[in-house]
Amino acid sequence: MVDFEAIRAQFPILDQQIHGHPLVYLDSAATSQKPQVVIDAESNFYRTINAGVHRGAHELAARSTVAFEEARAKVARLVGANAEEGQEEIVVTAGATAGLNLLATAFGNASLGRGGEAAKRFAIKPGDEIVVSEAEHHSVLLPFQELAARTGATFKWLGLTEDGRVRTDNLDEVITERTKVVAVTHVGNTTGAITNIAPIIRRAHEVGAIFVLDACQSVPHLKVDFHALDVDFAAWSAHKMYGPTGVGFLYGRRELLEALPPANFGGSMVELAWMDKPAQYMEPPARFEAGTQPVAQVVAAGVAAEWLMNIGMENLEAHEKTIAAELLKLGDIDGIRILGPRENVDRIGTVAFDVKGVHPHDVGQFIDAQGIAIRVGHHCAQPVHRHFGLFASNRASSGIYNSVDDARALVEAASKVRAFFKAE
Amino acid sequence: MSDYGMSSEELEQMYQEVILEASKAPHGKVGFAKGGASESIGVNSLSSGESTLQASHEYCVPAQSHQFNPTCGDEVTVRVEISDGSDGKPQRIEELVWDGQGCSISQASLSIMVDLVHGKTVDEAMDLFHDFHRLMESRGAGLHDEAVEEKLGDAVVFQGVSRYPMRIKCALLGWEGLKDSMAQALAHMETTNAKEA
Repeated sequence: MVDFEAIRAQFPILDQQIHGHPLVYLDSAATSQKPQVVIDAESNFYRTINAGVHRGAHELAARSTVAFEEARAKVARLVGANAEEGQEEIVVTAGATAGLNLLATAFGNASLGRGGEAAKRFAIKPGDEIVVSEAEHHSVLLPFQELAARTGATFKWLGLTEDGRVRTDNLDEVITERTKVVAVTHVGNTTGAITNIAPIIRRAHEVGAIFVLDACQSVPHLKVDFHALDVDFAAWSAHKMYGPTGVGFLYGRRELLEALPPANFGGSMVELAWMDKPAQYMEPPARFEAGTQPVAQVVAAGVAAEWLMNIGMENLEAHEKTIAAELLKLGDIDGIRILGPRENVDRIGTVAFDVKGVHPHDVGQFIDAQGIAIRVGHHCAQPVHRHFGLFASNRASSGIYNSVDDARALVEAASKVRAFFKAE
Repeated sequence: MSDYGMSSEELEQMYQEVILEASKAPHGKVGFAKGGASESIGVNSLSSGESTLQASHEYCVPAQSHQFNPTCGDEVTVRVEISDGSDGKPQRIEELVWDGQGCSISQASLSIMVDLVHGKTVDEAMDLFHDFHRLMESRGAGLHDEAVEEKLGDAVVFQGVSRYPMRIKCALLGWEGLKDSMAQALAHMETTNAKEA
């Protein structure tokens, strides 16, 4: 039995008053708070072993390199990826957005003939298709929309059901023999809905397409195993999984990473560089990690991954399920509509809602006055809001530190919003 | 503690009755935006200074400005008609209407702006624009200037909003539209005058 109250106590930031109320943090889908062990890991790194990695022969450089690679291995274990030296499947990025852009750029480079014969499997030409879903965050939508525009490919998408789930009833129509890339979110960042990705991945592979998963909202909340899911690539950020900002990870099936041409060029990704001959690039993951890496943050992200594995993702998932159940009671309030699945099935504790007659900015302000932090706006997912006939909404999202009481406090506050603003 | 179970002072300072009332039935709001707000949001369908705008009087130059806040989707199109000064008098706001949608702060601010500047000269309106800007930059402190506060009238109720950096843009959105549309009308007059001269 995991003591979630004791876990909450590990987050120093939560021990404060906001506007005279104890802070209730329900905005973990935007960014999670950090436990003391993660905060310590970052500052300890700077206090004891800070040095450049993969270069220099001095002792600190060696220790720093070991710490960096150990962190990579911990992150790999969290998501069921290979960690053995020479078989690494985790690339360090500057965040999920950077990882997705890296991938789209690399596919673009392959389309221009870069990367030789091996990279041809990523090449996209006019008439090919790139498929996303209508539930995507802008960081999936835009890099792949731009890739389609650059390569002349047709940009297509999977639509949504009424309650905002990615539709899987017309996969054969949308994903065709011409489809080269399918990029879909694992969990909707607005709806909280867990995508039924298995049939999408099956169909993508059936037609020989590469499947890319946005794992930002799944890795921090669910037990995820990329090998078992059979995804080709996946991107997510450290800061939503209790790690530092400025770091993310890109998973790639080893065989694919080895064939993928680089997207960013510079130091530490090249074996031989010449003035008059093409450069010879390193093996993955180094090939994709040009420039000085955010080593302290990667080390701290590794600590976050280990901390999550110690708690057990199944335990975390079960705990957040109880909070989701309480948050879903928002839908019982007169004039409040939940944007996403109403039932606590195949969803996480991310619950977006609309308050009839009250603009999200006003809702957020009212909620904030009671020390409760939720997100208002379009959550970088405008198409999904358009699907619900809105531009912006209010979103509560749970984390490991939340209690059912936190969710109750929000429901209580939300029930008073319309009266305060005299909404009709 | 109010009925809302909070230390309500801050919230009530922000959402004063004047604001809540004005946002319910805002002055100057006319449904002229094409397709309605829900269709036009985020689709810049209301381009600024459309040449098809018709002035209601021969001596007026019309212009409009579309303002959009991408973080929350608040949007407004402000439409003005400015007298061209051909009667020898200062250029004046003869007509001021708007269409759009947004939070109660943006809607109330537009309503109060219409009451304040309609019929004023362009110079007077720009003075009010600058005074209101200063008020919104005061971080809740206000202007400590009774004469200016009197000029601003009901707009002083937004002093409470100026404490919240995230909301200042809501209060200023309509005023930016006013400034931009007036500038467009004046620029148009200059071009016309230059052609005639």
